[in-house]
Amino acid sequence: MFEKILIANRGEIAVRVIQTCKDMGIKTVAVYSEADETALHRIEADEAVFIGPADPGKSYLNMDRIIEAAKETQAQAIHPGYGFLSENYEFAQKCADADIIFIGPSAKVIRDMGDKLTARQIMIDADVPVIPGLPGKEYTITDMLEKADEMGYPVLIKASAGGGGKGIRVVNSPGEMNEALEAASREAVNAFGDGRVYLEKFFTQARHIEFQVLADDHGNTIHLLERECSIQRRHQKIIEETPSMAVDPDLRERMGRAACDAARAAEYVNAGTVEFLLDNKGHFYFLEMNTRLQVEHPVTECVTGVDLVRQQILVASGRPLALRQDDIFARGHSIECRIYAEDPENGFFPSPGKIEYYEAPSGPGIRNDAGVYTGAVVPVEYDPILSKLTVHAETRDQAISKMIKALANYVVIGVRTPVDFLADVLDCEAFRNAEVFTDFIDTHFSDWSPSGNDTDLACLAFIADELCAKQSASLVQAGHPGTAGNNPFETLGNWKL
Amino acid sequence: MEYKLDVNNESMNLDVQSSKDDKAGVVLGDAEYSLEFKRISNEKLFLTVNGCQVTAWVKPTEQGKLIILNGQQYVVLDQDAQDQAGTAKKKSSAGKEPDTVTPPMPAIVIQVPVSKGDMVKKGDTVVVVSAMKMETSLKAPYSGKVCQISVAEGDKVMPGDILVDIEKVKDEETV
Repeated sequence: MFEKILIANRGEIAVRVIQTCKDMGIKTVAVYSEADETALHRIEADEAVFIGPADPGKSYLNMDRIIEAAKETQAQAIHPGYGFLSENYEFAQKCADADIIFIGPSAKVIRDMGDKLTARQIMIDADVPVIPGLPGKEYTITDMLEKADEMGYPVLIKASAGGGGKGIRVVNSPGEMNEALEAASREAVNAFGDGRVYLEKFFTQARHIEFQVLADDHGNTIHLLERECSIQRRHQKIIEETPSMAVDPDLRERMGRAACDAARAAEYVNAGTVEFLLDNKGHFYFLEMNTRLQVEHPVTECVTGVDLVRQQILVASGRPLALRQDDIFARGHSIECRIYAEDPENGFFPSPGKIEYYEAPSGPGIRNDAGVYTGAVVPVEYDPILSKLTVHAETRDQAISKMIKALANYVVIGVRTPVDFLADVLDCEAFRNAEVFTDFIDTHFSDWSPSGNDTDLACLAFIADELCAKQSASLVQAGHPGTAGNNPFETLGNWKL
Repeated sequence: MEYKLDVNNESMNLDVQSSKDDKAGVVLGDAEYSLEFKRISNEKLFLTVNGCQVTAWVKPTEQGKLIILNGQQYVVLDQDAQDQAGTAKKKSSAGKEPDTVTPPMPAIVIQVPVSKGDMVKKGDTVVVVSAMKMETSLKAPYSGKVCQISVAEGDKVMPGDILVDIEKVKDEETV
């Protein structure tokens, strides 16, 4: 087993990986940029290495510097978390070349799955259903128009190297095809340096269902059930849950088998996620494979009781999986909400700044994976995720109630968070009825504003605060400084422990 | 005592009819409330409103008091205090002295005219910052000795960052 692991990431995911390492008795090395000198992940690790300026290109994406940091500290393995270098095959290769174990699949697998066209072909060869469409650049616009006519509009043009919603265009009629092709290709060249695009059927009322897989070096591949990730804003997930209400035992069996087939076809090793699109007729199609730990992995951990980071580390160290498919079953229901520093009233615009006050909910079945604390600064340079709030209960209804209460007790002052928005989403009838589709937010919450319906109570809190201030001020005047403030350090004078 | 409050841009009239220790009788519009309150921490208040218990988080901001209740945010402003902004400012500085040198918004440090060890008087400029091309002088909140300077010219700073630490000198005459 590894004695020391370097975590090439920041924020909540770095903290979460450090926690499992500590559970396993493995020493941890954090890396940090200028913007993260007092970030939680830096503080929580056993050692920390400074890797450069706030600009991610010069720090968290600086492959050579990170490998150097691992060598300096004699870390035997690197956990990439999600984002940053986690799906960068060049980095995985550089680790291998430097005799450092990359906790994830091989460089080849990352490259194959990162290229949508290659991945699509691998899945077609393995009989995993893919979305009907036309691959490749070799087709003319006439071919594309013909295929689109055959499948029926709308269709989707997607960049082969795509991700994060870039290089995607919806085409509703033949007249839009030419312009959409050019725009998607141009965007793909700018974002990924690769202008190849392909054509797919576009499903309007689709669900995004993904399967967690685990595979070892010894030929074992299992899945850890599904996650429903249909609630998205700006093509980014914000609420995830498991199990999905749209998946019955028979469909789960078939999708799970397809997910394992997909992982085997890709020669996958370590933890990964196979994403499927599920249409309203119960057909599912391979979308892509994420070759890393997902943001939303805690919901799977809650219902299966498996620590996925521990499994990742065990597999990377060469151990065979101790878990068999029959060991995996779900108990109860789990929901995760992503808490970003963003303004739900203003197009989810990032809201960086200093967290003046932070208080997270706790209680039975509540888990909070946080990367911040009171006094922490949310830098402008990085993804503004503060934490992931996850609940686990016996039923979906109970999980929803638990989450709504947990969100009401989630207090962040200093940066705006969408806790009020998320609670309204969970509380709405469509969500309670599990009628969740990828267009859910646009359909139900496009012009959301906070209800703020307890203005009386807000006024009373205001007055109470004023009266408290007056009270302590008058006590000071009356010569009782001891009761003036709450800060004993201001009033005690010199003292010793 | 009557207050004219502005809650999320809506006006409300509030009358504190009686107030003793940590209890008050309050009339708000047509409703009467018996209010009990205890401060738990700087940001946290524990209220009992007509027998029902609730926790509120209160933080003063430039726009008014930010109040968080049951997961909802409110900004509450005393309109009378707002009308006499000058006196309001004095009041707030008497109640709670600003004791930090921090920029009002994300900014870049233009100049630090003091050095470590310098004695400064309350109101002296200790840092000049620029935000959105506007320069702002940050002043010493009280007289004292500069014990640490945490920024240099060109640094990016955020509200809440303590740019300069000043050790308070109790007797102003020693400065």
